[in-house]
Amino acid sequence: MTGKLNPVLVNSLLAAFCGLMLTWFSHTFPYPARMAADRINSMLYYPELPARELRFLVQAADQWMTERKNLQERALVLERENTALRTALQRSGVNPPQSAPGLLGASVTLRYPDAWWKEIRIDKGSSQGVVAGAPVLSEGFMIGRVSRAGEDYAWIELVTSSAFLLAAVVVDTWDLGVINGDDIGNVWLMYIPPEKEFSEGMLVSTALVGDYLPPGIPLGLIAGPGETKDGLTPFKVASGARLTQLYNVQILLPSEGGSS
Amino acid sequence: MIPLAVAWLLRDLSQALSMGVLLVPDFFMLTVAYDIVSGPLGKERVSVLIWLSFAGGILWDFRWTATPGISGLVNSLAVLAIYTAWGRTPVAGRGVWLFALLAGMAHLLSGITHYIAWSVPTRAATRMLFAQQLLGIPVLAAACAVYLFRMKKSRV
Repeated sequence: MTGKLNPVLVNSLLAAFCGLMLTWFSHTFPYPARMAADRINSMLYYPELPARELRFLVQAADQWMTERKNLQERALVLERENTALRTALQRSGVNPPQSAPGLLGASVTLRYPDAWWKEIRIDKGSSQGVVAGAPVLSEGFMIGRVSRAGEDYAWIELVTSSAFLLAAVVVDTWDLGVINGDDIGNVWLMYIPPEKEFSEGMLVSTALVGDYLPPGIPLGLIAGPGETKDGLTPFKVASGARLTQLYNVQILLPSEGGSS
Repeated sequence: MIPLAVAWLLRDLSQALSMGVLLVPDFFMLTVAYDIVSGPLGKERVSVLIWLSFAGGILWDFRWTATPGISGLVNSLAVLAIYTAWGRTPVAGRGVWLFALLAGMAHLLSGITHYIAWSVPTRAATRMLFAQQLLGIPVLAAACAVYLFRMKKSRV
């Protein structure tokens, strides 16, 4: 920093001037500037290659993660939609609850998974005339009976319940037995002597047992014999109703005189 | 010369890696600032540094911008400013804080110039400028640490 021109200052101003001129030049004549830029870019191509590849890798990984997340979310939405559609389809295949003289239509409002074959709850109760012991039908077959009735609801004990016991008759032979479930979806006609022979498809219906349960209500069809035990042979009964898909049922209401 | 080339390449590679995401700190300018204050303030030496910083700026412009020249201009003026401020400060006052101030100002000047000259002043561009300056802080701190270490070593 003497009285003479400072070379640092001169060089700095000269460099600044060159920079300014270069800016002006590249604006006025863009082609040579681009040529130079291309040359420098091609020179830096290989040194920058690892960084560029790493960036592409990170971008690809990020994109893959995003796509995966989107697909998972989409699959979840479709799964829910599919379940909803399946349910709607099943419901559409079942007729809405219909009441007929003596029959009260009701919808199933609850079916516990751990008591799936034991009981269901319906949306009709004592205020609609439902009483304990009344038979419950689906698709023309008896599927259970009212075990207890609240004001606006009632619990139905299903024929597949092991606690369900009901006198029944094989219509073709007039042989009597007892209908009983096993809690796993099967219905058995019990206490049949081994010498009795039933062929498959024979109709089993209720026998006259009480005020609320008239005889002749279909329970199911003989499906085949079970294992003979204690000198008696149980027969498997296939219910005519779809017991796995109970949405609507009908309750046979007692007639005014006391029996249906 | 070699540290400057390494700093330039480091900045270039970092920018290639983070292209489209952020603007990397100006390692090159910080290294130039460190070079000025860490050696004797010889006019020839500083003049060489001016032209090296100019060349680094021009190369950067050719690689990353459409209008070359501005970075060279800003770099050479920044070197002049650092040299002048450092040279006019009494020896007793030349310390790490002054270095941090000068290098930080040079870094900020470089960032603002790029912001004004090459980016559309949007909120995103402003965010990128802020991010660049924030990322520059640890780099500046590292440069200060190296400066302190060198000063201690030279006193022993």
